[in-house]
Amino acid sequence: MLIPRRVKYRKQHHPSRSGMSKGGTAVTFGEWGIQALEPAYVTNRQIESARIAITRHIRRGGKVWINIYPDRPLTKKPAETRMGSGKGSPEWWVANVKPGRVMFELSFPTEKVAKEALTRAIHKLPMKCRIVRREGGES
Amino acid sequence: MSEVKLSATPRNDFGKGAARRLRRDHQVPAVLYGHGTDPVHVALPGHATMLALKGNANALLTIDIEGDSQLALPKDVQRHPLKNTIEHVDLIIVRRGEKVTVDVPLHFTGEPAPGGRAQVELTSLSVEAEATSIPDGVEFSIEDAEVGTQIHAGQITLPEGSALIGDPEAIAVIISDATLAVGTEAEAAEAEAVEAAAAEA
Repeated sequence: MLIPRRVKYRKQHHPSRSGMSKGGTAVTFGEWGIQALEPAYVTNRQIESARIAITRHIRRGGKVWINIYPDRPLTKKPAETRMGSGKGSPEWWVANVKPGRVMFELSFPTEKVAKEALTRAIHKLPMKCRIVRREGGES
Repeated sequence: MSEVKLSATPRNDFGKGAARRLRRDHQVPAVLYGHGTDPVHVALPGHATMLALKGNANALLTIDIEGDSQLALPKDVQRHPLKNTIEHVDLIIVRRGEKVTVDVPLHFTGEPAPGGRAQVELTSLSVEAEATSIPDGVEFSIEDAEVGTQIHAGQITLPEGSALIGDPEAIAVIISDATLAVGTEAEAAEAEAVEAAAAEA
């Protein structure tokens, strides 16, 4: 599971959800990619789950890139706790994904298998996504 | 490579408000500069610009600004992250016969030898060519290439009049073993286990 080794501040404010992705909006490493269409916090568990979904479907003969990293902690107060007494403890690690971001990339020779693998990964993610192809790739 | 003619109108209103008004009128704000001249801010026709730059990042454009023609190459194209529409274009002035450095797409053709898989490391090559004869792309055949073969950028034959800029030792493609699973050895073992379970079921 992806988790930062060391952070400057353990408890942070919630990351901003507004705006579009400023970069990483095109497929750069592989041939296919999953592009986010909505803003969302993607947890490290969801990233891992999507990665496993891809690798289990393509089995062998491909390469997967993960372009997002869960570097923001979200905190949670214990159940049935009165308000106050400080901020809760870190509970999740999330990547703050904004619309347009290409989160996963895949290089695989067969289009049908690649699309199916990415569709399975999209089912593990918390936002609407679409499959995109490298610009200038064979259509 | 053929030239595409675009008629541009100079613009005097700047800022996001003016740019958005232009986009609403199906025009694209652009800037033309190079060769020590002052930058000229223009508005290009949206649909024609989209067609000119579709699938060809190095399209040679003839920009006609109120009767004055300029030869230009797109230096930077800003697109909307979701709609993929063109939001702004930076155009650099070029002259006929001038050598320019551009990135041209690299395509690999053919299938490697059985058991091999092409792992593409370079998808474009930086080449120097005359502005009027920029290649659309570079093709290289990997037909029957054996597992373990590495093709370097310097080994790729470029079209006449083009020269490679950059590291000739950069690996362009590796023919790897297609039977290897994706990821680490632990993941490979996991994939094997899943495969075995599927076979039993």
